[in-house]
Amino acid sequence: MQYVLLIYDTEDAGGREGLMQEYFAYTDDLEASGKLVSSAPLEPSGTARSVRVRDGETSLTDGPYAETKEQLGGYYVVDADTAEEAAEWAAKIPSARFGTIEVRAIMQIPAEARA
Amino acid sequence: MKVLALIWSDETGWEKLSQEEREDWYSQYRAFAAAADSKLAGGDELAPTRAATTVRVREGETTVTDGPFAETREQLGGYFVLDVDSLEEAAELAAKIPGARHGAVELRPAAEEDAA
Repeated sequence: MQYVLLIYDTEDAGGREGLMQEYFAYTDDLEASGKLVSSAPLEPSGTARSVRVRDGETSLTDGPYAETKEQLGGYYVVDADTAEEAAEWAAKIPSARFGTIEVRAIMQIPAEARA
Repeated sequence: MKVLALIWSDETGWEKLSQEEREDWYSQYRAFAAAADSKLAGGDELAPTRAATTVRVREGETTVTDGPFAETREQLGGYFVLDVDSLEEAAELAAKIPGARHGAVELRPAAEEDAA
């Protein structure tokens, strides 16, 4: 079963020396365990744009979908045997100590539907 | 550049659809994925937010709570990873994602150093 671990944290991460090194170590551990499917750090939410199409008209607005106190800063997709295991990997993400990790199960879609 | 396209839509609307209506949406997503194939680097459909949990660690203690990070009118239901040359191209592709017609697609560029 795959889960996406969404990392929400304040973008003003001043005073957190060594956090990047902790992320590198975490990513290495996850990779070594064979549980890492994919991951990406994101540019700050100031670069976000939201797209909507209504009656054939596309509108583009600057900013993320929701203005929140903490912002989505990156994610990991992990292959875990149980929801508990996914939560354990979530708790080890360095930003779990400062922000919030949202754990979302990924739907199993038959290969032919992914086309 | 890689751009994460987050698809926000009202999941209660989805749950009210018949199986036939859902199949129609899935076929629209398959058509999008087929047309955008060379520009897609990944994507997933997420289980509904009632299955979401949030994890926080404070002073060494882990707390796990039910529900998504933020309660919003629409919910994160899935995403694509777009492999495009510009944000403009990402926006053009995003407008073709079926969910853009009833919800919103949030585009988030990935940082250059891709950890994956």
